[in-house]
Amino acid sequence: MKKAMTLALGILTAVGGFFDIGNIATCVQAGARFRYQLIWSMVLATIVVILLIEMSGRFACATKKALPDAIREHFGFGFWLVPFLILTVIHILVLGAEIGGICFALHLLTGYPLQVFALPVAVLLWVFLWRATFSAIENSTSVLGLITLCFVVAAIWLHPPTHEVLQGALPSMPATNPENYWFIAVSIIGAVIAPFLFYFYSSGAVEDNWDRSYIPVNRAVAVIGMGFGSVISIAAIIVAAVVLAPRGIRVDDYHQAALMLIQVFPYWGYELFAVSMAIACVGAAIEVALSMAYTFAQTFGWNWGEDLDPAEDARFSLVYTLALLGASLFMLVGVDPLKLTLLTMAISAAVLPFVAIPMLLLMNDRKLLRDAANGVFSNVATAAIVVLTIVLAVVSIPLMVVGGS
Amino acid sequence: MFEELDMVRDLLDKQLVDADGTKMGRIDGIVLALDGDKQPRIDHLELGFAVLARRLHPRAEQWLLALRRRWSVRKSARQIVPVSKVMDITEEHIQLDLNALETPAFDWERWLRDHIVSKIPGSRSEQ
Repeated sequence: MKKAMTLALGILTAVGGFFDIGNIATCVQAGARFRYQLIWSMVLATIVVILLIEMSGRFACATKKALPDAIREHFGFGFWLVPFLILTVIHILVLGAEIGGICFALHLLTGYPLQVFALPVAVLLWVFLWRATFSAIENSTSVLGLITLCFVVAAIWLHPPTHEVLQGALPSMPATNPENYWFIAVSIIGAVIAPFLFYFYSSGAVEDNWDRSYIPVNRAVAVIGMGFGSVISIAAIIVAAVVLAPRGIRVDDYHQAALMLIQVFPYWGYELFAVSMAIACVGAAIEVALSMAYTFAQTFGWNWGEDLDPAEDARFSLVYTLALLGASLFMLVGVDPLKLTLLTMAISAAVLPFVAIPMLLLMNDRKLLRDAANGVFSNVATAAIVVLTIVLAVVSIPLMVVGGS
Repeated sequence: MFEELDMVRDLLDKQLVDADGTKMGRIDGIVLALDGDKQPRIDHLELGFAVLARRLHPRAEQWLLALRRRWSVRKSARQIVPVSKVMDITEEHIQLDLNALETPAFDWERWLRDHIVSKIPGSRSEQ
């Protein structure tokens, strides 16, 4: 029973890291502009993220170490410093975008400008992190996150043409605007395979005291948790394709995205969209803030743990505190949340090799993992993932320049 | 646990814990003693940002030491741990016969706890 409850970590990781502001933005644009044609990129991203999440969890089960910890230990400080600094910037940018998503959801519900909400949102998130234990965070976020299933309900209700949806699961060339098509394809992959996901998930496995007996559970959590996020994301593409595309709504800002549930839920579709967006972004913001604190604490060997009182891990707690304060500035000074999200997705796609390559090496360290090390299948898959991440790294920023509008 | 111990692979950058298991930093540097014709041996372990900075570039260490002269919470730029304090070496960490709270590795932690964190409500659950 206890092991069945660990699904909460998977759902939390999925609600937070998978279906978050980046996914809402990219999926809705994909559906509105290219209908079902970009579903394949979500399918591809899902397979990749399941494989990588499974590996980072298996690593934590076998070694009782999370990834940042192990990377510094095995590759040394000099190797880790540059990825660590880049990841710190990405953590702040993503956190800024998630806070932007929460502010925007509140703006949809109340009509007040985004700036009003920036600091209160940061403070509320902080209070939650300051007071709550890790399991309280897992359980509350994963239960509340079930509201995002409204996209799945809507997608089924709308009866999309099955053959077109299935066709979209295979890559095809776009009829028009190929720059934008490829930009969105890359953004979807970048939004799903967020670097912090793996650092968060493996640290969470350590927080939950997973050991080798959890390796099968970890596999199930990776598939079910990430599968959950993927189904919701594909549903969002479908709803946008059915509702927004025929009306020529291109989704240049989140106001247009908020219209997508109204056809299915006429009276409260707008509010439902806002609440789903807020919850998905709260989960993600908590995950990113914690991920940043985990990464700092493990890099320098500080005492860490969300179950400790802040007075027992002052440095750990101050990292997420400062991260939340710093990231709230983006909304406070009036940065457009959609632009911030798309920029963040492109940059985080560009740094994926820094995440994938050390992982491939670590997962083959038999001295460390013994029988839990990668087999042939996982290695072929990871090598393919490394190639994919390098391609993404090369194309993501140029594509943002030519196709990002 | 180990059949053999690689100094860089298995010791450098490894997590340190104190006698109670509290995490107290990582091995940022290892110093060997060379004594005439005798075999070189590990003399002590070093901890601290200054040690990390030196590993990157000697100038980085100079900058860090200059910063320290302005804001020095830590009593010494680097903490030296004699090898005799090493209690146990496992795959997970290296345990030292020390109390983390009393070492320079915890100077920042203690300062931040006393001056900032403990002033914020809710920093201890028993309150």
